Amino acid sequence: MTLPLPLRVRKALVLSPPLIWVVLFMFVPYTILFVFSFWQQQYPTFTPALQLGNYQTLISDPQYLRTLLRTIKIAALVSLFSLLLAYPYAYFLVHKVRRPALRQTLYMAVVAPLWVSYLLRAYTWKTILGTEGILNSFLISTGILTEPSPIFLYNQTSMVVTLTYVFIPFMVMPIYAALEKIPRNLLEASADLGMGRTATFLKVTLPLSLTGVVAGFTMTFCLAFGDFIAAYLVGGPDGMMISNVIATQFGASLNWPLGSALALVMLVIVLAIISVSDRFERLGKGAFA
Amino acid sequence: MTIKNKLTGAIAAVVALAGSGAPVLAEGELNILTWEGYADTSFIAPFEAASGCKVSATYVGSNDDFAPKLAAGGGVFDLVSPAIDSTAPLIAAGFVQPIDTARLSRWGEVYDKFRSAEGINADGKVFGVPFSWGAIAFMYLADKFPTPPTSIAALWDPELTGHVSLWDDKSAIYVAARLNGDMDIYNLSDEQIAAAQAKLLAQKPLIRKYWSTAGELVDLYKSGEIWISNTWAGYQSGLLKAEGVDVREFIPTENAEGWVDNWMIVKDTPNEDCAYKFLEMAISEEGQCGMSAITGYSAANPVAAKACMTPEQYAALHQDDPAYLDSLLLWENLGPRLNVYANAWNAVKSQ
Repeated sequence: MTLPLPLRVRKALVLSPPLIWVVLFMFVPYTILFVFSFWQQQYPTFTPALQLGNYQTLISDPQYLRTLLRTIKIAALVSLFSLLLAYPYAYFLVHKVRRPALRQTLYMAVVAPLWVSYLLRAYTWKTILGTEGILNSFLISTGILTEPSPIFLYNQTSMVVTLTYVFIPFMVMPIYAALEKIPRNLLEASADLGMGRTATFLKVTLPLSLTGVVAGFTMTFCLAFGDFIAAYLVGGPDGMMISNVIATQFGASLNWPLGSALALVMLVIVLAIISVSDRFERLGKGAFA
Repeated sequence: MTIKNKLTGAIAAVVALAGSGAPVLAEGELNILTWEGYADTSFIAPFEAASGCKVSATYVGSNDDFAPKLAAGGGVFDLVSPAIDSTAPLIAAGFVQPIDTARLSRWGEVYDKFRSAEGINADGKVFGVPFSWGAIAFMYLADKFPTPPTSIAALWDPELTGHVSLWDDKSAIYVAARLNGDMDIYNLSDEQIAAAQAKLLAQKPLIRKYWSTAGELVDLYKSGEIWISNTWAGYQSGLLKAEGVDVREFIPTENAEGWVDNWMIVKDTPNEDCAYKFLEMAISEEGQCGMSAITGYSAANPVAAKACMTPEQYAALHQDDPAYLDSLLLWENLGPRLNVYANAWNAVKSQ
């Protein structure tokens, strides 16, 4: 009955929702941010302008570079510890756990916390690491400490611990997927050719799972890099991250232009990391596929 | 808390409707952006029942939240309640409208000092209705201090390393400046701000955590993390005493800052009638004693306060003591200098 719509119209209909989404929620906000970053703060708010003063401030005032470097350091540590914990765990699940049901359960044990509010999970660490917290009580009851130690909470270490815990599922998932995809016969072939377990791991398993590692590293790094809750909940006086500075510029300082410039710098860093990791992954596929 | 409040509010409203016998539709609504204790069901529910104005509250965590929320636009809010140092930018930016004080029968009873404050008066018009006031006092755990501290210098005592907290706010600069002997804290020169910044940097190793919300400060004391800090006088100490934590407040020899919160009407609100009904309630007995009972802050209308408070409470809140009020360094808007203060504080935190 109804006439089929021309192909171009049908294509447009299928494509338009995601396109509208991208334009409305990605392109427009970032353009506004970009425009804002050239504006000027002027009491009581800010006025349109076309000047590079905000970017100059970011370079000339050492507080911004210092916070940026600290944020990169914390994000890198979070990714590193996530990797050190997640890789053996995923390897264990894929290669050592024989029963699929048990493997599924252990996998879900890592992923399930994602369904619990991030705030709640971060808050839990306060009760664990605090001066009168669970860790201190345990150490005192076992006689390791004689009085509670304040060193577990409100510093950069507690931020790294909390962020590692919160973001580790994003490391486990891609590594698990990569390890599971490695054909078993490759490992058998390696063994048949006289390679030991270590050599097989280093020459077959590890290279083939690198795409998962890179994906996991990228995700945990970018998530930790943009985090500002951990600094607020478990960070100490030296825990300010770059997102906290942006929040301050959009709030207390009412300097949206400077905040926009900072946000764009952050965006460029994240995009650079993603494109580098993308190249890595393609390299991996090209070399081993 | 919010959900519970809303629930009890809804139940109260239903009960009120059932009591009146006829289904009455709300005549209007009012969206307010305010501090948590300022929209408590204990006095908001009766107001809703009496006025027919349904109140929906959104809460701020800082005075710095008002301007950005209004700058983002959207015309969501009808009333806001910033402190006296944050009112001027809202007026200058045109976010709020003048108030016809003739429509408020209790206006004349509010402290003169507050009514004539620079922060709410512009071009011969009034832009704010003073609601509550208090000091930024200091507070310590009683059992940790055999000799009670009397000076701000106690927060710089190396003996207390790891047990000090300070409000994460530009007011940290005010505190450090007073320790340096610079008492004109709202007109500091660049050198004085730099000196205050250096003092705060020197204090950093002593700091356990900078506190940002009332709840966070209460938690820090409760979990044994800190022994001394500054505080919103009356509020957190009240919460802590209710939890059985023995804290004491003190006004240091270097004096304390004072604040006044003011209700302001957002420009071109469609709910002006309800807004005026709310303001009338706010500075009468219902609002003044309702607010005081929840927050422990002093009331801006001493006549209403006297009528609804016990004599002990009236005295404890310094309502009968103009000298106390005059001694406080009442917050002022920093104007274009705000950025210099905020920047210095950010620089301290970035180290």
